[in-house]
Amino acid sequence: MFFHIVLERNMQLHPRFFGRNLRDNLVSKLMKDVEGTCSGRHGFVVAVTGIENIGKGLIRDGTGFVTFPVKYQCVVFRPFKGEILEAVVTMVNKMGFFAEAGPVQIFVSNHLIPDDMEFQSGDMPNYTTSDGSVKIQKDSEVRLKIIGTRVDATEIFCIGTIKDDFLGVINDPTTI
Amino acid sequence: MRNRGMDPDEDEYEEYEDDEAEVDEEEEDRGASSRKRRRSGFIDDDAEEVDEDEEEEEDEEDDFDDRGGRKRQYKRMAASNFFDEEAQVDSDEEEEEEEAEDDFIVDEGADLPEEDGGRRMHSRRMLPHDQEDHEDLEAMARSIQERYGRRATDYDEEATDVEQQALLPSVRDPKLWMVKCAIGREREAAVCLMQKYIDKGSELQIRSAIALDHLKNFIYVEADKEAHVREACKGLRNIYAQKITLVPIREMTDVLSVESKAIDLSRDTWVRMKIGTYKGDLAKVVDVDNVRQRVTVKLIPRIDLQALANKLEGREVVKKKAFVPPPRFMNVDEARELHIRVEHRRDPMTGERFETIGGMMFKDGFLYKTVSIKSISAQNIKPTFDELEKFRKPGENGDGDVASLSTLFANRKKGHFMKGDAVIVIKGDLKNLKGWVEKVDEDNVHIRPEIKDLPKTLAVNERELCKYFEPGNHVKVVSGTQEGATGMVVKVEQHVLIILSDTTKEHMRVFADDVVESSEVTIGVTRIGDYELHDLVLLDNLSFGVIIRVESEAFQVLKGVPDRPEVALVKLREIKCKIEKKISVQDRFKNTVSTKDVVRIVEGPCKGKQGPVEHIYRGVLFIYDRHHLEHAGFICSKAQSCVVVGGSRTNGDRNGDGYSRFPSLRTPPRIPQSPRRFSRGGGPPMDSGGRHRGGRGHDGLAGQTVKIRQGPYKGYRGRVIELKGTSVRVELESQMKVVTVDRNHISDNVAVTPYRDSSRYGMGSETPMHPSRTPLHPYMTPMRDPGATPIHDGMRTPMRDRAWNPYTPMSPPRDNWEDGNPGSWGTSPQYQPGSPPSRPYEAPTPGAGWANTPGGNYSEAGTPRENSAYANAPSPYLPSTPGGQPMTPNSASYLPGTPGGQPMTPGTGGLDLMSPVIGGDSEGPWFMPDILVNVRRAGEDSVVGVIREVLPDGSCRVVLGTSGSGDTITALPSEMEAVVPRKSDKIKIMGGTLRGATGKLIGVDGTDGIVKVDDTLDVKILDLVILAKLAQS
Repeated sequence: MFFHIVLERNMQLHPRFFGRNLRDNLVSKLMKDVEGTCSGRHGFVVAVTGIENIGKGLIRDGTGFVTFPVKYQCVVFRPFKGEILEAVVTMVNKMGFFAEAGPVQIFVSNHLIPDDMEFQSGDMPNYTTSDGSVKIQKDSEVRLKIIGTRVDATEIFCIGTIKDDFLGVINDPTTI
Repeated sequence: MRNRGMDPDEDEYEEYEDDEAEVDEEEEDRGASSRKRRRSGFIDDDAEEVDEDEEEEEDEEDDFDDRGGRKRQYKRMAASNFFDEEAQVDSDEEEEEEEAEDDFIVDEGADLPEEDGGRRMHSRRMLPHDQEDHEDLEAMARSIQERYGRRATDYDEEATDVEQQALLPSVRDPKLWMVKCAIGREREAAVCLMQKYIDKGSELQIRSAIALDHLKNFIYVEADKEAHVREACKGLRNIYAQKITLVPIREMTDVLSVESKAIDLSRDTWVRMKIGTYKGDLAKVVDVDNVRQRVTVKLIPRIDLQALANKLEGREVVKKKAFVPPPRFMNVDEARELHIRVEHRRDPMTGERFETIGGMMFKDGFLYKTVSIKSISAQNIKPTFDELEKFRKPGENGDGDVASLSTLFANRKKGHFMKGDAVIVIKGDLKNLKGWVEKVDEDNVHIRPEIKDLPKTLAVNERELCKYFEPGNHVKVVSGTQEGATGMVVKVEQHVLIILSDTTKEHMRVFADDVVESSEVTIGVTRIGDYELHDLVLLDNLSFGVIIRVESEAFQVLKGVPDRPEVALVKLREIKCKIEKKISVQDRFKNTVSTKDVVRIVEGPCKGKQGPVEHIYRGVLFIYDRHHLEHAGFICSKAQSCVVVGGSRTNGDRNGDGYSRFPSLRTPPRIPQSPRRFSRGGGPPMDSGGRHRGGRGHDGLAGQTVKIRQGPYKGYRGRVIELKGTSVRVELESQMKVVTVDRNHISDNVAVTPYRDSSRYGMGSETPMHPSRTPLHPYMTPMRDPGATPIHDGMRTPMRDRAWNPYTPMSPPRDNWEDGNPGSWGTSPQYQPGSPPSRPYEAPTPGAGWANTPGGNYSEAGTPRENSAYANAPSPYLPSTPGGQPMTPNSASYLPGTPGGQPMTPGTGGLDLMSPVIGGDSEGPWFMPDILVNVRRAGEDSVVGVIREVLPDGSCRVVLGTSGSGDTITALPSEMEAVVPRKSDKIKIMGGTLRGATGKLIGVDGTDGIVKVDDTLDVKILDLVILAKLAQS
């Protein structure tokens, strides 16, 4: 789920950036630092949308660096248990398949794939129904439900299922 | 406390007696004429009882008093006079047993005869009607025995706890005295006392005497007073009555409690075999015969059919003791094929059909074997998942093993459930009720049920509960083979969870009991003994492999068999040693591959996979591909079927390789073209030798700056000179001396400059001299230490390649080098052809020497850092490192004597002191796009052109004309020379840290140019050599 929230961060800035463009530098550094990161509480920071307020800088003894407390608005993406997501399949193997929804990696175990879908190995490993009408392979788009998340310092890993109503392939690359 | 245990029985018997009494009364009423009817009445009685019994059996809640059971059994045993013999034997046994104790129980002993009488009567009445059906007495006896002998098992041996408590001895009860007797005569002493009691009758005031088999030298006597004991013992020579000790009340029970050998061996318990072929195998109890102390168990047979066939046919059987056939389900058809006679039989008591082969009974592939209770162990059996899985094999679904679950539960540790655990009821009326643990009593767990209408908490027996998880829970395995692993629950199949491991991304099947909910992420065990996950190990049979998983007692090893993933499960002792060699091999195109290099597999089943090399051994690479899900991401491949990609680490080598592929490049023509390069150094190249010898060791450690962690030199920093087994020689930074320390006593993660490793290269070029020098000399110059002077390294690196190049004609240095440490050369055979003739070159024409040093097959090239130095040099060919040379100018003169002098050599010294930026410059002027060059070709005038593209082999695509408007040609680096920029020209920096940056030359100072860099507007002083005029665009 996406959220637009305000976060705060202490930015350290090298003295060489002090000058007219200080603010710009600060912002670009903030974006560089923050976008794409992940925190367990808020999830992935997708984009910084604006700066709320930059506090007074504090010179750090000994280094000349200055610390600015920066409040910024950003869009975060955090997957939740039970959430329905659309994701792109990145890898298929006999244990299931991996899919990505933006920065989040989701694994769908073969136990969580409908029983009528069978794994077909080969050049392009895939899961196919017995009549061949539905096929999950790399680059397929699937709709899945998240049943569990694990949050590390740098990534969020989810386990999803497509064994439920209205879940499964929504767009097959081969048919386009 | 059996005597006490009898009380309840007595009640029962009293009841019987009452019955009888009634009957008797009746009898009296009706007189003898009613006798016959009475008999039939009794028979009816019995029949009823039997029915009752059967009901009770079916109802498996057998909290029966075993005594009751036994006695009933007696009745049947002794059921009929017809089979006196058999029955007698049995009852004799039993009675003996009983008498042994009963005789000492004075008060109860008196009752016994009556009871016996009662029993006898029952048995007589029992004369069953089916008697007529059986002609053969023996058969009948057997059938009766089979029918009832077994029943006995269904009664549990224990009285309930409450009853037991009530029976505990109190102060008012007679006490137990421990009396010393002659060793080995304990029984005799007890029997003597018994005899005495019989003889003297009530004169003896003791209650009982007990001799325990396991207690030597003492017997127990039960009596109210010590004096009574003394009295009783008087005159018995086996008993030494001087010392009589009172057994404290609390310990009295212990005296008579039998070690709980009568473990509740009930059907469906899991046991393990203790002896024989099946030793250690898991077995399931299918039948228990308590009387004969035998158990029928179900096993997965370990039968060598061939051997069996041979045996049955009377052929000679070679006895191979060591060989234990692997467990396998019996396939009757297979057996038949081997002409083994398979009979079908019905088990007379259960009516089940068995296949019988040579006396062994099989059913559904399992072997049914009757063994002595002593040969199995039933305690602390924790069947592993796999074992259970096997047992389930023939089409049972999960439900079948609720019973087996109970065994699992029986082995649960204390404190298995904790407050807050989610649980599910798996047995009884509340089955499938979910809830949360609120409180845990001894055996009962209070749960808060999920369903609202139920009472707030329910007490449920621990054994009826199972932990409950939902898909998506993150759990940690706390016991079993997977112990320590964490993962997410993917699927729940009753008490079995399928977990997706966090680290291996593989499925694991574990028991719900073995996991707890946890947010922690761990890999599980990663180490047993000296071996850790992902180590390369040598196995027993000289095969080798990478540990891809560590289980509780064994490793999974991906064997070093290319083209076919072969995984073996090995025990710790099967591993010979860890292989830690850092070697390098050549890939398909003869590029050097060392560990950490990224390679792509171009052949075989794993074609297309790509990843860093983790281990190299015997020409086999172990590649770690993060996207490869099997075998923990490891792929095993022949070096020959891989190619190095990227090049961060191998640039230097490729460099050489490129040359070797273009022999023309190897020739010295380039030399003339690079006079400038030398100009700066100005001296013979070799001089620099010896300075950094550290690189000789063929371990990545050599040359690194380390800190000594332990020992007398603790805290000192220094550079590793050499590795000798487990010790390293370290040149101390502060003391100008070399010390030998244990390898484990150093920490090598001291922060060092990025170029640190390249120093090793430098060293290569330096070596030549070094033999002639005093050993001290190289180290005398702390400032020059690689750590301190990144510059050096930068400058020198390229040189190293050259100097050491196999193709280099000038090899004197190399010879030395070789002598110095043959090991390092061993891996790169090209070096070997030492060419003595080249010596002449050595001093005079330094350039010649290195100009053609393409063959950078430097086996050591592997260390990451050094490569990174190269990494930013796209056209590796560029032969010469201007900087490299300068280092050597004067040093030659120093060689003989004054090591200390070195730092002073103008060239070097100067360089050393330079700012790192400048140092970096010298890294090499590789050609870059967009610069102006003079292209000189044999027989042609030089033409000005603009480099458009640098080709991977080092040659460049050059567009002729100053503005890049003319023809496009491809020129070799040797044919090109950067156009020297003039003041206020736009320039591009070709080397150093600023490589690739553009700027303006704002001044020239000797060989240095003053450059204003466009990006940062910094002003830098850079060597003119690495500056090239930028083409106007």
